[in-house]
Amino acid sequence: MRIVVAYKWTCDPEEATVRADGTVDWSRAKPGLSAYDPVAIEVARQFADEAGAELIGMTVGGKGVAAPLASKAALGRGLDRVVIVEDVSLADAGRSDLAAVLAEVIRHIGDVDLVVTGDSSVDVAAKMVPTVLAGELGWPAVAEVTSITGQAGALRVERAIPGGVQLLEISGPAVLAASADAAAPRVPGMKDLLAAGKKPVELLELAALKVPPRNAVMTVTGRAVPERKPRKGQLIDTADPAKAAAELVSALRQAGTL
Amino acid sequence: MSMSAWIVVGDQREVGNLVTVARSLGGPVGAVVAGPRSVADTVAGAGLDKVVWCSAPDDVPAEASAPAVADAVAADPPRVVLAGRNPGERVLLGAVAARLKTAVLTGARSVAFDGDDVVVVNAVFGDIAEETVAVTGPVALLLDGGSVPSADGASTPIEEISAPPLGLKVIETRTHGFDEADLSAAHRVIGVGRGLKAREDLALIEELASAADAEIACSRPVAEGLNWMGKDRYIGSSGARISPRLYFAIGISGQLQHMVGVTGAEVIVAINADPNAAIFKQTDYGLVGDLYQLVPAITAALK
Repeated sequence: MRIVVAYKWTCDPEEATVRADGTVDWSRAKPGLSAYDPVAIEVARQFADEAGAELIGMTVGGKGVAAPLASKAALGRGLDRVVIVEDVSLADAGRSDLAAVLAEVIRHIGDVDLVVTGDSSVDVAAKMVPTVLAGELGWPAVAEVTSITGQAGALRVERAIPGGVQLLEISGPAVLAASADAAAPRVPGMKDLLAAGKKPVELLELAALKVPPRNAVMTVTGRAVPERKPRKGQLIDTADPAKAAAELVSALRQAGTL
Repeated sequence: MSMSAWIVVGDQREVGNLVTVARSLGGPVGAVVAGPRSVADTVAGAGLDKVVWCSAPDDVPAEASAPAVADAVAADPPRVVLAGRNPGERVLLGAVAARLKTAVLTGARSVAFDGDDVVVVNAVFGDIAEETVAVTGPVALLLDGGSVPSADGASTPIEEISAPPLGLKVIETRTHGFDEADLSAAHRVIGVGRGLKAREDLALIEELASAADAEIACSRPVAEGLNWMGKDRYIGSSGARISPRLYFAIGISGQLQHMVGVTGAEVIVAINADPNAAIFKQTDYGLVGDLYQLVPAITAALK
């Protein structure tokens, strides 16, 4: 059995600033493994161990995704090897473009039974790349996955749904997005990181993958800082909690919100 | 009739806003429903030009019909495909986007046709910035749902199609015992963060909620790490986005990820022990102090 984890090496918008013209300044942001991807790797590692499967990481993106620091961060968390497509044209690629490249990577790896992803990426948070990838492959996609058991061709997958959980049986290959709290990810130690440095890293050329072109061409014609409701920013003195509460309630009543 | 917009629907019947946006573009609008028949019936009452329902056995989830949905849309390719922000709907939209090789945009604030282009004002990177994007070719968009206004006329006839679903079956469904929330309909919402020390202390929040006639919500870690509430109650870029008249942020630091979920709130009140918490830069009324003193005081003041 062969399991692939799709991970992303990127920056957190929490560390970015937006200039007055609407462009995003990432210069102070430090790239890392996207927030929920360690959870995906952990979920997949535990299932791979149980199923005796090979666990392969894959990522595609712009400059930096193939840097040793990046591949070691992913490998150190328990992947057996990684397959990477680094190409400057992918830095600003849309969800659909990235998913199409990932689908070709899956075909290149061959004989893949299962793809696991994180809940969402820390930068874009669209939760769409796994679903377009599944569409490209003709496989089912399931999100909010909390556990994976079973074997290739007969997976048992538990997912969170509004109000509860649901147990699913999946009879073929699938793309599963792990919920953000599906597992507690391991923190790689020095030994893991040293071992990671010796694991295989395969670099693929984007051109060699022959990704079918999209039917849509996107052009950014304008950028802006989103308009936000202006906030009063009024601090209420809390030295006397009862007085503070009365002042707040009176202000809210006046504003007509209570 | 050639569709200019298709709406794809799984088991979430809240498509009111999708219909409004699709209608605003002009041209015929159709829907493909992969969920239960009752969802197709609701959608058929929304005044669309065409409704297609992919029937499947009861134990087959909507996601399994993704190829059938993609086929139905591809048979009459539109300029835009719309879906609600729910896990099942995302899967259906992804299958359509792959089939039509469309662009995918997930932060649309407005959509319009401009000649051959579709022009979308799209929020990016957790809403910190906004881009206007001109797309030549088809576009797949995720949008907020919104309830369907009750039908004022005849329903659209439902065309039933039946295609072999993907190999996906529901074996068992269990409820977790948390009350389900409808935060989008609430006028007042109280968000709880990690400033609350123990689960039992939610009792304090419940008293305030009852006095203020408010729904209780939370930041992501409270639902996902601590598991004190159902996941449908967490607010943020990947959770619920709400526009209540009043939002109380209690023990919430004010991270971007959370705050983008409440930018539409009319008035924001924050209680936090840390005077430097980022939340105080984004509120109308800030109370620096111990929530264990301030919350009961506010509850008492409301009574």
